[in-house]
Amino acid sequence: MSLEQLLAQRPDLWRGRGRDPSAPNGVSTGFTALDRLLPWHGWPAGSLTEILAVHQGAAMALMLPMLAALSHRSRWLLLVDPPWVPFAPALVANGLDLARLVVVQAGDETAWAMEQALRSGACAAVLGWHCQQERRRNWPAGSLRRLQLAADAGDALAILLREPAAAARPSPAAFRLQVESVGGDLAVTLLKQRGGRPGARIRIGASSHPIPVITRPASRSVSRPAFLEPNRS
Amino acid sequence: MNWLALHLPALPLEVYERGLQTPLPLAISQRERLIACNRLAREQGVQPGLAESAGRALLADLRILPSNARAERAALERLAAWAMRFSDQVSLEPPQALVLESARSLRLFGGADALHRQVADGIAGLGYQAHCVLAPTPLGALVLAAAGAEGPVPHIDALRRTLSALPVAALGFERRALDDLARMGLKRIGDLLRLPRDGFAERFGIERIDQLERLLGERADPRQAFTPPERFRAELELPAEVPDAVALVFAGRRLLEELGGFLLARQSGVQRLSWCLSHADAQTDAGSTRFQLGAARPLRDPQRWLELLRERLERLRLPAPVRAIALASETLSPLPPANAELFPNAAAVTAPDPALLDRLRARLGNDAVQGLALVLDQRPERAWRWCSPGDQSDGIVRADRPLWLLPQPAALPLQGHRPWLDGPLDLGDGCERIETGWWDDFEVARDYYVATAVSGERVWIYREMYGNRGWFLHGLFGAAAQPC
Repeated sequence: MSLEQLLAQRPDLWRGRGRDPSAPNGVSTGFTALDRLLPWHGWPAGSLTEILAVHQGAAMALMLPMLAALSHRSRWLLLVDPPWVPFAPALVANGLDLARLVVVQAGDETAWAMEQALRSGACAAVLGWHCQQERRRNWPAGSLRRLQLAADAGDALAILLREPAAAARPSPAAFRLQVESVGGDLAVTLLKQRGGRPGARIRIGASSHPIPVITRPASRSVSRPAFLEPNRS
Repeated sequence: MNWLALHLPALPLEVYERGLQTPLPLAISQRERLIACNRLAREQGVQPGLAESAGRALLADLRILPSNARAERAALERLAAWAMRFSDQVSLEPPQALVLESARSLRLFGGADALHRQVADGIAGLGYQAHCVLAPTPLGALVLAAAGAEGPVPHIDALRRTLSALPVAALGFERRALDDLARMGLKRIGDLLRLPRDGFAERFGIERIDQLERLLGERADPRQAFTPPERFRAELELPAEVPDAVALVFAGRRLLEELGGFLLARQSGVQRLSWCLSHADAQTDAGSTRFQLGAARPLRDPQRWLELLRERLERLRLPAPVRAIALASETLSPLPPANAELFPNAAAVTAPDPALLDRLRARLGNDAVQGLALVLDQRPERAWRWCSPGDQSDGIVRADRPLWLLPQPAALPLQGHRPWLDGPLDLGDGCERIETGWWDDFEVARDYYVATAVSGERVWIYREMYGNRGWFLHGLFGAAAQPC
């Protein structure tokens, strides 16, 4: 009998930092250090994730190992309204199989296209951008909730790429993080994770490999998204 | 129980009514007389046999439509094609019946009761009322179904008993023969069957005896099998004009369900459907709105087509209300029957389902859904191409290329002879020269640099080797991070 089984027999036992075994398994980010910080051990499957991208290149680099892994399975990867052309020679060099990749130009119907794709169950991941058009900068909370429900229904990763200013607006997303490039590395700040602790910052990249620098916030103010700041006017 | 007969008592009404989502009082007339009316009309006292004017007097908003023999025949043929899922031999019995040879179907469908239930449910799902009878002879089944009987009749003795109780009118003799029989005091079929055959033949003709013998299976009764057409073609007249495209989904579903049965019987799928909406207002330029729905691979499931139709109708602007809706298929492509795997292997990587992409294309347009492929070319603009998702080709794979490419290189301003992007760019060390393409209309002569912006972002920029030697931004790198 394993230790886990013994512990499971004791409902009166409270386990401090243990992870909820019923939490859905995630899709590995490809970065072990980052996986360790997340309650899902990766990107949360069947949930909405928001990436607040300071640099689009960094956001793509962060998602690429996940996309590459999923591209060898049997579901589509949908990129809805990407701001530029995903550059095929570099994607393939990073292990991505282009046969599963679909680029959708949805125009005014980004939310509709994402919801359809998520709900269909035919997609492993649906990535949506909205950085170019001014008028769609604000996702209504209702749309976000629908995306969350659709992701759950289709058991897909829903990833929305927004700009850093969106941190000030509340969101039903299960996971929210900010990513930027710093000196050739990826700097990731976890703003919100359902069932996990927000606020951790991690630097991943060539210069910090193999030991990633994880800084726990010293004061709460660093960990809290700006919109929670009491003294914010 | 070798024969299954389907009698459609309300067919003249149904060719109109099936396209209607909310019922309205409806009657069908032939030569100024009502020959059928629906439940709403009956509740108001309208009955078959009334003159048109009497019907209108009873119910002011009664809709009276002429009977449409051509549509009834077409509906019967589509039903025959649909019914081929139950039997390989289906015969038309115009004006409103079908008969199926069911001896070989009984075991496949799990017995007479199960077959009866499946046929009855299926036809109700298509929007038709039907009486469905299984009997040992085709004529017996037809006569019973026309008389409104239902269910299986197990053997010839039971058939004789059931038939005997029916009035002679159920045999469909002409008026004069029926009058003669009535004067002789013969009211039930049973009375006829008890008569000596010779005398009966002399009085009523050898064909009548022939008919009675076929009824009881004493004489062979071969039927001509229906051959389904090569393509599916169906039209639905709408009893009331429909001004709103989305309201056509209901009528479209009816047509698609018939298409589904047709395709199943032919073991085929179809990749393209043509729709034609005829407008009430003939003054409109075309008089009709036409569009096509396409799928990435041959589809049989009517539900898939319905999803595509719905997407399309939601975006459609109708120039005028719609009076009729028609569906035509392209050439069919054979599909293998859906067989379950003997050893299902969930881990096997299969091609993803293209239905989603069809749906996105139906709404966003064909060019809005694309895949990416590699091309054997050093020029960044030509090293990739749009393709249909899933298509693959070989090309140059390079890890030192940016993850994003700007579709149009963006000119960079200069400050103090250095390219500037929200601050001076650090050009790093070394550059890569791409000078090629002199053989076609897209010549490239550039020095590429991996530059770092003040913000820490790494970008791909180039300087033109000739001309005014301008600087351009062409791509964005991620970080140098390696998955670990």
